[in-house]
Amino acid sequence: MSNNKPLYSPPTLGSQLLRWFCKDRLLEEIEGDLLEYYQIEREAKPKWKANLLYWFHLFHFLRPFALKKIGQNSNIIIMYRSYFKFAWRGMMRHKMQTSFHLLGLVLAFTVCGLIYLHLKFETSYDSHHKDADDIYRIAWMNENPQTRTPHPMAQALVSEFPEVVKAVTFSPIYGPGLTKDVILITHDASNVTHEITDGYFADTTFFDVFTYEPIYGNPKQALQNEWAVVLSESTAKRFFGDEDPVGQRLSFNGMVDLLEVAAVVKDAPKASHFRFNFMLSYVTLKSLPFNDPWLSWDDFGHFNYVKLSPGTNPEVVESKIPNWIPKYLNWSEDNIESLKAGEIGFKLQPIQDIHLHSNIRWELEPNGSYSYLIIYGVSALFILLISIINFVNLNTARAAQRLKEVGVKKTLGAFRSQIFTQFSIEALVTTFLALILSVFVMNWLETPFNNLVNGSIAIENLWQTETVTFMVLTAIFTAIVSALYPSVYLNSFEAGSILRGLKLSKLGGSNLRNGLLGVQLVATVILISGSLTIRNQIQFLKDKDLGFDQDNLMVLTIVGQTYSQKIRTLKSELESISGIGETSMVSNVPGGQFNQHPLYMEENPQLRVDASEMFVDKDVASTLNLEIVEGRMLDDVFAADSAGTAFVLNETAVRELNVQDPVGKQLFWVNNEELVKGTVVGVVKDFHYNSLHVPIRPIIMMMNQNAYNHLIAKFDPNSLPQIIEQVEEKFTEIVPEVDFSYRFLDSQIEELYQEEARTFRLTVILSAISIFLACGGLLGVISIVIRQRVKEISIRKVLGASAKNILWLINLKHLLIAAIALLIAIPASVIFMRNWLSNFTYQAGISPLVYGVTSVGILMLIGLTISLISIKTIKANPANNLRSE
Amino acid sequence: MKKYQLGEFEEYVLLTVGVLHGDAYGVSIKEEIEKRLKRKVSIGALQSALRRMEEKGFIVSELGETTKARGGKRKRYFKITAFGKKALDYNMQTRMELYKEIQNVALQYKLC
Repeated sequence: MSNNKPLYSPPTLGSQLLRWFCKDRLLEEIEGDLLEYYQIEREAKPKWKANLLYWFHLFHFLRPFALKKIGQNSNIIIMYRSYFKFAWRGMMRHKMQTSFHLLGLVLAFTVCGLIYLHLKFETSYDSHHKDADDIYRIAWMNENPQTRTPHPMAQALVSEFPEVVKAVTFSPIYGPGLTKDVILITHDASNVTHEITDGYFADTTFFDVFTYEPIYGNPKQALQNEWAVVLSESTAKRFFGDEDPVGQRLSFNGMVDLLEVAAVVKDAPKASHFRFNFMLSYVTLKSLPFNDPWLSWDDFGHFNYVKLSPGTNPEVVESKIPNWIPKYLNWSEDNIESLKAGEIGFKLQPIQDIHLHSNIRWELEPNGSYSYLIIYGVSALFILLISIINFVNLNTARAAQRLKEVGVKKTLGAFRSQIFTQFSIEALVTTFLALILSVFVMNWLETPFNNLVNGSIAIENLWQTETVTFMVLTAIFTAIVSALYPSVYLNSFEAGSILRGLKLSKLGGSNLRNGLLGVQLVATVILISGSLTIRNQIQFLKDKDLGFDQDNLMVLTIVGQTYSQKIRTLKSELESISGIGETSMVSNVPGGQFNQHPLYMEENPQLRVDASEMFVDKDVASTLNLEIVEGRMLDDVFAADSAGTAFVLNETAVRELNVQDPVGKQLFWVNNEELVKGTVVGVVKDFHYNSLHVPIRPIIMMMNQNAYNHLIAKFDPNSLPQIIEQVEEKFTEIVPEVDFSYRFLDSQIEELYQEEARTFRLTVILSAISIFLACGGLLGVISIVIRQRVKEISIRKVLGASAKNILWLINLKHLLIAAIALLIAIPASVIFMRNWLSNFTYQAGISPLVYGVTSVGILMLIGLTISLISIKTIKANPANNLRSE
Repeated sequence: MKKYQLGEFEEYVLLTVGVLHGDAYGVSIKEEIEKRLKRKVSIGALQSALRRMEEKGFIVSELGETTKARGGKRKRYFKITAFGKKALDYNMQTRMELYKEIQNVALQYKLC
């Protein structure tokens, strides 16, 4: 090695790193060694290799023996270490208090985390589609808004509106009475048959608007071919396992090898407002020699979706439609007028809003409800608030106990900021520990929570930057707030006076604490009264007379026109079973979806009324116990009845048609432009064939031998097991190809209020948590307060106060706080719950009893808590307390 | 005996320090071991072994002169101590005793 050569310089970052981390004592030598060795390597090897080696040796050197001892010469680090030590010792010394803090915070963080994930999932619907922000569904808004609009509308919009880039129209394959039809699909080659629901007809542009991941074949091209079918992955698996099914043929309802599998796509994610199992193209439908008015402008019977050019305001398109569409619609002047006036009209619903904000007729799947999500969110925030307040309150109450500690620290030279830092770190240790524990608890509660709210949250979704940031910020916020008060308060004393023996005659911060206590109680009262009101409403819905019998009725469902003969056989067979009363065949069951068409009286053709339709047999009134107010029920002894030209209306229909004495009058039923003229033969009393969320609307009942899907049978509840056994026997004998299953009408109707029931269960749990936390917090604070007032209480006793007097003294202030909290909470709760109740057409109303019960309960609970914790001190011999000094 | 405990690598380093008497510092020890044993030695591993033995008292060190190649940084020279020598002797001796105890039979590699 020549001495004249300039030195090669190793990576500067490396030497810098070394200087940071290496012990000073070792630094000089090792730096020298590394440098010298680097020179040798650079002579022999390319620069990058030498650099790499330099780094390699450097990192190899950074072993524990070489590292600077953290804080070996830093005051700050030593201080921080001592803060952690103090925090830990403090936590260990007050095990009860620590565990209550942790329990409260863990509960709050867990509840918030779970509900946050749930809200996130519910608001993520349909966001997986490409350009989801620009996809809209066209809804028809009249007095009874609906999701379905005419078939040609989609493509007309694309060709005539520059803003509309793509559009698709599709429709589920519906059976009679607008039930989603079940199709028997057979793969003859392997002789596999399955009943498949959720079949759709769709435009060729379906996959231009919606994003589905193809697995086999090309779905976009597939829809251009006649008889081609696109399967969802799960459906394809049922027939073909993991094989590529493209080119295989499937039979459709017994029509052999009608369909050819052209593509398979991944199933829509769960957060999707509709999903299909198989999809045929309208091309197939149109190739048939059939001129169905269903495909015309007159039938509002299809789902239309448009994709607008990026960033287009949907209102622009919306506002153009009323002036554009009349050329296609064969409507009366009146209707066109109200369309142009905006009384009725087409609305573009953002696809991502459908799940939470759209709840109109014929949603493809039951949607979620925004108002419940708000309840969930608000409740979670309340719990968090209560828990944070507990933490803050208990910490401020404890501050007085630490007066001496602060005094000593200050004498030894601690700054104000250091006192604050110490308190903050102590609080931070607790909140972060709670945060970590709550993640474990969340993992553990994932499935129970999903069952409770019918959600599908996954805890791993928690690990997203925004969520983690939010949680960490909450933890830090809680800690800082709880540290702020004690440190400011304790800092306000001079060290000298503290050590000279300053005794806090009063526990500081009682105003703040009482205020926060009030806030806590407000939140608790709102939660409790809210859940009681929800309970009342559910009970009200359950108890409400629906206008028909729902008890002891069994529903057997056989969907599909192929079975219309068999369902009749089944009916007569069932009637022979002892224990089975009346039976009736119907197209729709109360509580389900209904199709609807317009009606008008011959005497007043101008007045058209949209009415739901229900195809029934002669026994429906006796089975469901419907009350006939005029005329008679349908009966197949009359030729007109069995021909479907005799109608029975409900009272609402009669009222809306504005007709006096309807029985015997002629009525037109407009079934897809096929005008059915018939006679009104009877009127039934209004009954709630829809859920109680909506008012009773007109309904028309008639006979149609081919449209029965359900058999409703009255049974004797005392011999139910035997009856079911016999029914199953008959059922499998008559319809062996369908799996036997039955439901009860009352439980089916109860399902309509599932969402309410779920919300109720959740709010009950959250109310219980909130009561527990609020009382626990109060207990903690009072127990500290009492300790401060032992002397005072003793002196009072010596001077002749009774235990009762003293209890009142201690209770009174908190009961006053509770009373004020009630005064604030009750109006807030009334407003909130009124708002919620407005979702229902039939409301239980807000019962004063709810608030009475809540108020008395809260006041008693507070009194009880305080009395329990203070009774020991009060009962104690005052001499003992006064003697100690 | 615990107090003479020497790891395998430590033993090599200690021996090399002895061999290089008067010129034993980081890089020279590294090169010497690499030359004789044909194995790569990382500076970190070497330094930690030296530090460990210094703590045990097998070697002592002092700062020496500086050369240009080291960018003005001084070398640290290592010297073996009497205690270090004892440890070496002890190790060598126990090893030889063990070696001698092996019966000849055990070293005859015939088919069993």
